[in-house]
Amino acid sequence: MAQGIINQYRQAAHDLRKNEVWRNVDFAPQLTDDMVLPTAADDAQLQFWCNIQGLEAHRIAFVNGAFKSDEQSEQSGVVCCTVGEARRSYPELLGKVLAEVGTDGNPYADINGSNATDGLFLYVPDGMTVHQPVQLLSIANSDKSLLLHLRHVVALGRGSSLKLIQCDDSYTQQGAFSNNVLLASLTEGSRLEHYKMQNLNDATALLNQTFVSMQRDASLCSVGITLNGGNIRNHNVVRMTHEGCSTEMHGLYLIDRQQRCDNYVFVDHLAPNCKSHELYKGILDDSAHGVFNGHVLVRDGATKTEAYQANRNILLTDKAFVQSKPFLEIYNDDVKCSHGSTIGQLDNQALFYLMQRGISPRNARTLLLYAFCDEVLRYITVDQLRDKLGDMVKKRLHGELSACLDCALSCSNTCGCTPPEFKIDLSSTK
Amino acid sequence: MALLSIRNLHASIGDKEILRGVNLDIEAGEVHSIMGPNGNGKSTLAGVIAGNEKYTVTDGEVIYKGRDILAMPVDQRANEGIFLGFQYPVEIPGVSITNFMRTAVNEQRKYRGLDPLTGSQFLKLMEEKKKVVEMTANLANRSVNEGFSGGEKKKNEIFQMAMLDPTLAILDETDSGLDIDALRIVATGVNHLRRSDNAIIVITHYQRLLDYIVPDFVHVLYEGRIVKSGPKELALKLEKEGYEWLKEL
Ligand SMILES: Nc1ncnc2c1ncn2[C@@H]1O[C@H](COP(=O)(O)OP(=O)(O)OP(=O)(O)O)[C@@H](O)[C@H]1O
Ligand SMILES: [Mg+2]
Repeated sequence: MAQGIINQYRQAAHDLRKNEVWRNVDFAPQLTDDMVLPTAADDAQLQFWCNIQGLEAHRIAFVNGAFKSDEQSEQSGVVCCTVGEARRSYPELLGKVLAEVGTDGNPYADINGSNATDGLFLYVPDGMTVHQPVQLLSIANSDKSLLLHLRHVVALGRGSSLKLIQCDDSYTQQGAFSNNVLLASLTEGSRLEHYKMQNLNDATALLNQTFVSMQRDASLCSVGITLNGGNIRNHNVVRMTHEGCSTEMHGLYLIDRQQRCDNYVFVDHLAPNCKSHELYKGILDDSAHGVFNGHVLVRDGATKTEAYQANRNILLTDKAFVQSKPFLEIYNDDVKCSHGSTIGQLDNQALFYLMQRGISPRNARTLLLYAFCDEVLRYITVDQLRDKLGDMVKKRLHGELSACLDCALSCSNTCGCTPPEFKIDLSSTK
Repeated sequence: MALLSIRNLHASIGDKEILRGVNLDIEAGEVHSIMGPNGNGKSTLAGVIAGNEKYTVTDGEVIYKGRDILAMPVDQRANEGIFLGFQYPVEIPGVSITNFMRTAVNEQRKYRGLDPLTGSQFLKLMEEKKKVVEMTANLANRSVNEGFSGGEKKKNEIFQMAMLDPTLAILDETDSGLDIDALRIVATGVNHLRRSDNAIIVITHYQRLLDYIVPDFVHVLYEGRIVKSGPKELALKLEKEGYEWLKEL
């Protein structure tokens, strides 16, 4: 069974080797022949709920593919269950949502489609604001190398809003390969804040695919923070099908050793008066390899479009490298667009300025790197999450995060790792 | 013993020699002014004293508090009380002045074996020093120098100087680009610092500043050397006659 799927992946990689969108993607190092699909026997206890201090959230987890919920009661009218359950209990609703949003038909999404074991179904009725964020955890905790496929469906009714925190974590040092698809349908006037936190071990590959379809006046704010992971591809496709939509799509990747992080963003402006804004920033150490592949398509009829795209990178060594391809494809004249990318080192004169005030070289570096990251963290509107991620970024910049070898999940306060000890106050400027 | 003693200092950028044998002695309690035509090495001298690695020292020594500091790291020199007010302050997006100064003040305190200031102690100090330079509250919460006007950047340098209370302050053209009010404020900040146990080097092109900050000595740095030193009246002569006459020296 698993071997058949592995072969499908190898075939997909082979077929896509000349495809602009996929040719940088290579999961071969993680897709080993010893991989297995999870069975009921792999249903492991959830050691903790990745609590974010001070944050009340409704938590859903898939541990080795198996569903858990922290049983908090959700707001009435909100449907929060597995896709399997939705198929039984809400077939019409599910069918309607799936008619509105689909994948871009890439072979990896198809493999996910035919192998997904389950996923989260989340529906917010018209006009409702879900106050507590929903935290969706996907965790691998096994002594086997698991091949995991989840397919989530999120549907926002008219004028509703939701904050979704999607965490991908590994609990052990065992490798895994996770191919997740999230389909989100944002109907008229709805708003989704989608935060992605990725903290995986170096042997793990993650293909995180998000497909969003937006109707009139819908808004999306997505912030992805990659703190660790062997080989990560975030594949984001946003289609603004009606007027007045706004998309904020941002990412931060801090990678080192042999890690790879590849962010693909396709934003399709199909209608007039829509905005999109992308800011992706990365710090690459050792021999890490980053890819930013951004494609904004402004169609013929999409007049009064505003689209901005930026990718900024700091390379800390001369072995680290990044491929940055921002790309605007525009088919009408009535647009405001810009794109840009930079790849550089820390600014020596800024370092000198800080050190001339008595700040140690190490703290001066951290201050500058943190300031670089903060520009992305600022888009997170959930204060507790932003503070937590701010701490994790500081830890990461001080090289402490990946040092917690017993636990790739250093984001949890309960794992026994000491919280970041930071003598200097680096809280963000507001 | 002099607080700062520079002997036969030679320094270059790449293979271009800029300082060609500078000699200078500064005692605690003194204010020295360095003047001289553009591009003759004033900022280079300031940068070398502060430890900017952009410059290579090829000969000579810089003795500060009885120690040659040329091998001392930049941050340690700062912690020993050397402050450089930059001619071109660097913009640092994302780092607020408040956090920047808090980090700096506490690192300097740590170096001197003092406990860090608590949040409220720090804020109190900051309020006090902000008054010295008549800085608006708003500026203090912005990113360091980002989008500041030329004059605001210079005031920010004096604010930082007041916060750090240095032993040797080198102000590199802090008066350039200032209006009359700002000039007075900057001068007040400098005079505020002036004590018997510290010294100030004021690099400037204008006699105007020296009406407010009266120097004990004026030096002319020309082609990488101090070619003339004298009392404050020398500045007046330079203002009237320019630098032409130096070429005959
Ligand atoms: N990075 C550099 N590469 C090459 N030459 C440089 C560099 N930085 C400065 N210089 C040169 O070094 C010389 C001295 O410069 P410095 O900044 O010390 O002059 P200055 O006396 O401070 O001038 P000003 O009054 O204009 O501020 C100048 O000729 C300048 O062009
Ligand atoms: Mg100069």
